[in-house]
Amino acid sequence: MIKLRKAGVRFGSRWIFRNLDLEAPVGRSLAILGPNGRGKTTLLRSLLGFQALTEGRREVPAVIGYVPQSGNGDIGYTVRQIVATGRVALRGLFAMPSRSDFDVADEALRRVGMERFSHNRFDWLSGGERQLVLLARAIATGATTLVLDEPASALDLRNQDRFLKVVQSLREEGSHAILFTTHLPQHAAMVADDALLLFGIEDRLCGPVDDTMTEANIARLYGLPVRIVECRVENGSRPARGIVPLFGQEELIAS
Amino acid sequence: MKRAFRNLLLTASVVSLAATSVAGAEPVSVTDMMDRTVELENPASRITMIPIPSTSTVIALDGSTERLVGMHPLAKSAITEAILGAFFPEAKDITSDILAGGASTGFAPNVEAIAALNPDLVVQWGHMADDVVGPLTNAGFTTSLILYGDEAKARAIISMLGNLIGKPEKVDEIIAWRDETAAKIEAAVADVPDAEKPSVLYLLRAQSELRASGTGSYNDYYINLAGGRNAAAELDGLKPVNAEQIAAWNPDVILLNGFESELDVSRIYDDPVLGATNAAVSKRVYKMPIGGYRWDPPSQESPLTWQWLATLLHPEKVEFDLRGQIGDWYGKLYGHTPSTEQIDAILRMEMNGAGASYERFAAR
Amino acid sequence: MGAFGLLLLAAMLAGLGLGRLSIPLPTVAAILFQDIVPVTKDWSVLDERIVTLVRAPRILIAALSGAALAMCGAALQGIFRNPLVSPQILGISSGAAFGGALAILFGYSGFMLVGSAFAFGVLALLSVGFVARVDGRTETATIVLAGIIVGALFAALVSLVQFVADPNSSLPAIVGWLMGSFASATWPRLMLAAPAIAIAAIGLYLLRFRVNVLSLGDDEARSFGVKVERDRWIFFILVALGTGAVVAVAGVVGWVGLVVPHAARLIVGPDHRILVPASALLGAAYLVIIDTLARTVSASEIPLSVLTAIIGAPVFALLLRRSRRQENAR
Repeated sequence: MIKLRKAGVRFGSRWIFRNLDLEAPVGRSLAILGPNGRGKTTLLRSLLGFQALTEGRREVPAVIGYVPQSGNGDIGYTVRQIVATGRVALRGLFAMPSRSDFDVADEALRRVGMERFSHNRFDWLSGGERQLVLLARAIATGATTLVLDEPASALDLRNQDRFLKVVQSLREEGSHAILFTTHLPQHAAMVADDALLLFGIEDRLCGPVDDTMTEANIARLYGLPVRIVECRVENGSRPARGIVPLFGQEELIAS
Repeated sequence: MKRAFRNLLLTASVVSLAATSVAGAEPVSVTDMMDRTVELENPASRITMIPIPSTSTVIALDGSTERLVGMHPLAKSAITEAILGAFFPEAKDITSDILAGGASTGFAPNVEAIAALNPDLVVQWGHMADDVVGPLTNAGFTTSLILYGDEAKARAIISMLGNLIGKPEKVDEIIAWRDETAAKIEAAVADVPDAEKPSVLYLLRAQSELRASGTGSYNDYYINLAGGRNAAAELDGLKPVNAEQIAAWNPDVILLNGFESELDVSRIYDDPVLGATNAAVSKRVYKMPIGGYRWDPPSQESPLTWQWLATLLHPEKVEFDLRGQIGDWYGKLYGHTPSTEQIDAILRMEMNGAGASYERFAAR
Repeated sequence: MGAFGLLLLAAMLAGLGLGRLSIPLPTVAAILFQDIVPVTKDWSVLDERIVTLVRAPRILIAALSGAALAMCGAALQGIFRNPLVSPQILGISSGAAFGGALAILFGYSGFMLVGSAFAFGVLALLSVGFVARVDGRTETATIVLAGIIVGALFAALVSLVQFVADPNSSLPAIVGWLMGSFASATWPRLMLAAPAIAIAAIGLYLLRFRVNVLSLGDDEARSFGVKVERDRWIFFILVALGTGAVVAVAGVVGWVGLVVPHAARLIVGPDHRILVPASALLGAAYLVIIDTLARTVSASEIPLSVLTAIIGAPVFALLLRRSRRQENAR
């Protein structure tokens, strides 16, 4: 469980957000959407405790399963070391990873489908593989809250699919509270239960994806008209929903 | 040794020939040690001395401090804190505020401060970079340069300075004393076979680090002259060494420098390793005396250094009356005769007195 | 790791056997073990004193210093995720150098010298902490910059001490001490430095996995519940303790803390659980070998930092090229 109450952050005289209430219970997945510069990152950093709140309260567990966009990994640790390290942090200054820590790390790597790479150097992996490893590390911490910073947004389609499938399976499992920021409304539509749309400093909308992620709201959020298209796929295991931006046709918003 | 002597006689005579003046208000012309011609309308009477050891040489040549208007802070402390301070109490009023940056930065002159002293001669080192000399010549000072190191250069310094102040006869007297003393010592130790010459280690630093004088140093010159062998002959110049190296050399005699004021012979005797060397076991550790200047480097008093060391190295072969010589020559050089207590202080009787053969220097 | 241990042992034995005074190796062994094994005393007092009072403490100080500097370097390089970081970066060396120079200026040696060097090393570290702490937070990059600022300030203060020092007594002592040497190593000096070095070494050894944790990056470590600032300060204090103690007894010995962790990393990999102890052994062996060279190659002592730089710089260049080539070839 992660909570913000009447939270606000100010840089100098400029408020990034104010009066923000946010709650991410275990078993639900929340997508945070907003245009560039609207404070997605600041909000995420506030949730994680990297950014102090100017006002309001924050309630978070001691350990959060944080998945950064790309890890600081140029030191040359192996994938398995990177994942196991996440488990040890809280156990005190002198703690070392034990055999059971490595067992949990291996299990987490299986969970994300990266067990084949466990002895490879982390910094020699591709961007998509790295994010999966970082997700495995977040899972391995045992944290019930996972916070993902723009996951899969810089990956190719194949790798987006790979990553989102893992997130989706975690969501279906229901044992984590999942929060993520994203630029891609379609990702939110696929793996989030709820969406938080950041329109302005105090102007926002939060609720179930089906209610909040309407064509009108998304158009308002980005200043760009969109169409939501339901694709019926023959023999498909699930319906696909496309959110199509209508680039170059801003005038359609008015109509 | 013979050739060295011929060379230095040659140097000395060249410098004397170059001097065209005798005492009095006549123009002087001298070739300095960097082969520059230095000309003065009259013998120098307002001198700023930047090199440290030669400052006391000017006092010795003149028999007074009257010609000095400025000197290096370390020269001043060496003079005022030792016997010359007692002979010439007025020396403490001569300014030492002539350097561009404190004493530790070396010898860069503060040209404006020197100009304020209105000197007719500035003496500076010749072996340093041009930036210690250039400012002086650019400012228009008559500048004479000296080099430092071996006996030949020591004589050339005396000769050059003596001629610049119009005292060539004092130069001749001092040079003759050096010749005569060196010859006496050479004759006395001539029949000592090399194998029986004691090995002597001179330590330029001994307090926090150990630094020994190797071949080519002035210490090396007088160790050999006095019938010893330089234990550190394999070193070239002044080099840091460790205790084990000294143990490996195992010198018969250790000479401690006169520069480090806190340094005592107990430094050697109390050291577990140095204290086990031949020198320490046979009580032959001595600290260099300090007279008109420290006896370690070459100066007008060098013949006293040689007699002192020859007596310690070969007490059975030489018969110098060192106290008498000090009395005579201080009279000739400085115009003052030191008291018994002052001679004790010069020879550091209190510290060195317990050393082997040092009773030879005791007052009778 | 075993190989590093053997290397260190071999270096220390060689160091005991080598020196300007030639003492046969069997004699050295007999001197060392005379209390345990019955032997006939066929050596001089001087031989015995050289082995037990000169070489033995000197080799131990060199080994301890090498181990401490290399461990400090390995830990800092990990924490800063920057292979160019060395104990010098936090200004500790400069601070300790100033403390030592000041002590010599006022005519102190021994305990006062060590104490002053250490105290100013810690003061430099605290200044870095003060400068780098902005709005209650201390970021890694700010620490490096603050270290450079404080280091430069103390370097200037060292110059100031040299400026006012007496050229006849304290100046050469300060210059000699700053260049780094184990020539004045004695048992009392060893005893003076050993506790601080031991605390630093044991601390860094116990905390070695913490380096892995911190090397993930401030944010990531924080998200896992690590008190990043507190942990980092624990490391800095240990590093100040180790580096300060080494500077105090041996002057500023450069390059060891930079080069040795690199060499060790190339051999045992980047995991600090192995890298920290491996650096310690390799650093100890390296400095014992360098110091043995410094005191035996010529009759005159060669300044330590001259040798560590002359040997360290080319080795570092070689390592750099090799690891870059490895990167490119992946």
